[in-house]
Amino acid sequence: MSRRARQYRHLIDQALSDVRRQDALHRFGDAYLAARAEAFADLDFESLRHDIAVMKDTVRDDWPHQLEKFMQQAAATGAKVFLAPDAQAANTYITDLAQRHDARLAVKSKSMAGEEIALNHALEGIGIRVVETDLGEWIVQLAGQRPSHMVMPAIHMFRDQVAELFGKLTGEHEAEDIAHLVELARQTLRKEFLHADLGISGANLAVVEDGSLALVTNEGNARLVATIPPVHVVLVGIDKLVPCLEDAVKVLQVLPRNATAQAASSYVTWLRGPSPGRDQQPRELHIVLLDNGRSKLASSKESRDAWRCLRCGACANVCPVYQTIGGHVFGHVYVGAIGIVLTAFLHGLDDAAELIQACIGCRACVNVCPAHIDLEHIILGLRRRLAETEGVGLIKDLLFKRVLRNRRLFHGLLRTASRMQKPLTGSTSSVRHLPLFFSSLTEWRTLPAIAPRPLRDLLAEQPLVAEPRLRVALFGGCAAEFVLPDIGLALARVFRHFNIELVYPEDQSCCGIPALYSGDAATATELARQSVLALTKTQADAVVTVCPTCTTALTKHFPELLAEDPALADCAAGLAAITRDAAVLLAEQLADASPVGPANTAGTVTYHDSCHLRRGSDVYLQPRRLLATAGWQLTEMAHPDRCCGFGGSYSVLGQPTIARAIAKDKLADILATSAEVVAADCPGCLIMLRGLLEKSNAPTRVAHSVQLLADTLPDK
Amino acid sequence: MIKTPEALLEQFCQAASRVGARTVRCLSAKAAVDYIVRHAGGTIILPDFPAARQLNLAELLRTQGAEVICGDLFQAATTAAAGITGANFGLADTGTVVIESTAQAIRLASTLPERHFVLLNPHKILPDHMAAVPILRRLHSRQSPDFIAFITGPSRTADIERVLTIGAHGPRELHILLLDGLSDDFLET
Repeated sequence: MSRRARQYRHLIDQALSDVRRQDALHRFGDAYLAARAEAFADLDFESLRHDIAVMKDTVRDDWPHQLEKFMQQAAATGAKVFLAPDAQAANTYITDLAQRHDARLAVKSKSMAGEEIALNHALEGIGIRVVETDLGEWIVQLAGQRPSHMVMPAIHMFRDQVAELFGKLTGEHEAEDIAHLVELARQTLRKEFLHADLGISGANLAVVEDGSLALVTNEGNARLVATIPPVHVVLVGIDKLVPCLEDAVKVLQVLPRNATAQAASSYVTWLRGPSPGRDQQPRELHIVLLDNGRSKLASSKESRDAWRCLRCGACANVCPVYQTIGGHVFGHVYVGAIGIVLTAFLHGLDDAAELIQACIGCRACVNVCPAHIDLEHIILGLRRRLAETEGVGLIKDLLFKRVLRNRRLFHGLLRTASRMQKPLTGSTSSVRHLPLFFSSLTEWRTLPAIAPRPLRDLLAEQPLVAEPRLRVALFGGCAAEFVLPDIGLALARVFRHFNIELVYPEDQSCCGIPALYSGDAATATELARQSVLALTKTQADAVVTVCPTCTTALTKHFPELLAEDPALADCAAGLAAITRDAAVLLAEQLADASPVGPANTAGTVTYHDSCHLRRGSDVYLQPRRLLATAGWQLTEMAHPDRCCGFGGSYSVLGQPTIARAIAKDKLADILATSAEVVAADCPGCLIMLRGLLEKSNAPTRVAHSVQLLADTLPDK
Repeated sequence: MIKTPEALLEQFCQAASRVGARTVRCLSAKAAVDYIVRHAGGTIILPDFPAARQLNLAELLRTQGAEVICGDLFQAATTAAAGITGANFGLADTGTVVIESTAQAIRLASTLPERHFVLLNPHKILPDHMAAVPILRRLHSRQSPDFIAFITGPSRTADIERVLTIGAHGPRELHILLLDGLSDDFLET
């Protein structure tokens, strides 16, 4: 493990011990989602974010021209306009300006771009006192920290800590009362506003049409920064350009709703040119347009969608990793999922390296992004880039290149492992304890044992279906093939019942996602080739999977990876079109079938939505309907679609301690339902959930919904 | 669906009240003045704007015993209890008032005192932000520099433990006085 990685592990351990903050961030995430739903109640979020994505892409693809036009328009209003190619150029421009005006005190309204270029540091370097005026930002400044959230910089702190901090400033005991603390900030900062020589703010929008800027705040500090000091500097990223006022208003419709669940922020200030000061005295307005890696982002085919970001902070709000370790650890200057991408481009891949590996890939952020950025996809691309420069690690490298690419060797090893593990499992199907340093892996969950016989051997013994109405090839996937073969057997039984033939192509291999998501695209491509060949040979009517990660591989990654392969590109696209998750295929095939069992007699079940099924494929209704069809009574758990913490190799080799904390939340939600069974349609989730429940000695059964359907079939 | 002016006004008042602003129907200029004097709580700063001139507001307020400061407001603004401004128009969907604030005095009066009183013609309510764009565009093209404020409720923060607290840097109270007979021009306050 590198020094950098070791240091990061240490930060994670520290963050994990701060239970109070974790609890606050969890409650925040829940409250946010409820309030946000209300704020968007009368609006079509999907169509709004589609429009914003299209608009932002238009600017991005034409940014040099749009920027030039904005600069002309803004200059015509009387503002001084400067394009800063990097952080140093921006800092130099602003420090020179401050020196020209003999400035001693600068008041600042929250600017993430200012954080990005460490502007305060540059100003303080020439002896200027800088005072942050956004309350959260001021608290963080007094504490000598950096913001842990883009919209709520001090969300990691509590009133007693703020009171202590303010007490140090005033030299008195300050009450731990929020109204009192806000009042103290108001009175203290008011004086600073009145005496400041320089006002510095960011901007939320720069409108190309007329050179205007829009500043959004709730506290009103940006208005004072823009009103009182004789010189106002607006530092704004070139990604904030929008073509016209209509586009700006569209952003303003979505931004406050998605950031803080408000229909409108208290103050939207439209600035055009330097507004006059006292007695109509002229003031100065300087607009510093910041590139600092943004143009590089715009030209990165894989990552450029991140240019669309509105800086609402929502991706952090809903992120299980953020909720667990907070923005100081899951962030650099920018935090959360977008923080990973922005860090990679604005600060460098090295600063982003640990963050890239800390994403669990649950896509919760993708769901709430107001600019429709597929953050998971971009982060996977960055992980690939990182693997190209740093490798994927010794264990994974050996596993992927030497073992995974050779199916016979891979499967042979698994069969051997199944025989060798007997001393650890006894007669059960789980490993409860591991010796020596492996013991940390089974401290909080059991690990699944490799099944005595793999699925392909078991299926070979199943009776044939005479005159089937459909021939379906099963893509098993490693977990269902070697760890949970009962799922495949259950599917075979269900298919037989409904007169569907199940075909299991021998030469299929791993779906390749473990390699792909670790950054080894070459191994993933070889595996895609093997499985596409095997599946195509069957000439089946459809392909079914019992693992949504495999579905993602077949429908999305295989066609991408084989796009340049003349022999297999069409085959991969053809397979993608006929591949279904078991729940979806059954829902389609059983649309007009009568209920299998009498309603609500099979027992109580709670359903866990797997990340890749819920957000990767938008499947969540079908499995619930299937369970109802089979006579199960559904009791919803809280946060059914929150990640269970498995995340593939994340919970074993990646970030097991974060995974453990995320898993603990899931366990609590399941146990709170008192359901007899927890169902999930992903072998990874099933392994995680079973491991958790067994270790906590809960009697809850864990099953794939296909198994629950099979259980209620009459011809058992 | 096009809403009647009455429906827009109703929606505006509801939305404004949801974000903590107070809307008051005033049947006469005198009623508005009485309201302001009753609620100002101290010195009032009054910048120059069309509705104030039209109503001769400074005179009316002083007649009712209020201490009113006009002209150079800078020093007074830091200690005044209340500020008065006009509004170009309101937005029904969010209860927002839109105020052309290019003159610094307007910005001081609407930002520094504890209470902000806004005079608004109740017939000048637009359905939403998108409907305001053509006017914003005309305001922008009329002059530069310019400074247009969209104000929705009083100043607020939730930066400590996400607890909503009213009155961060701006006014703690926003009173919107709806008074007939003010300028019909959306470009004017």
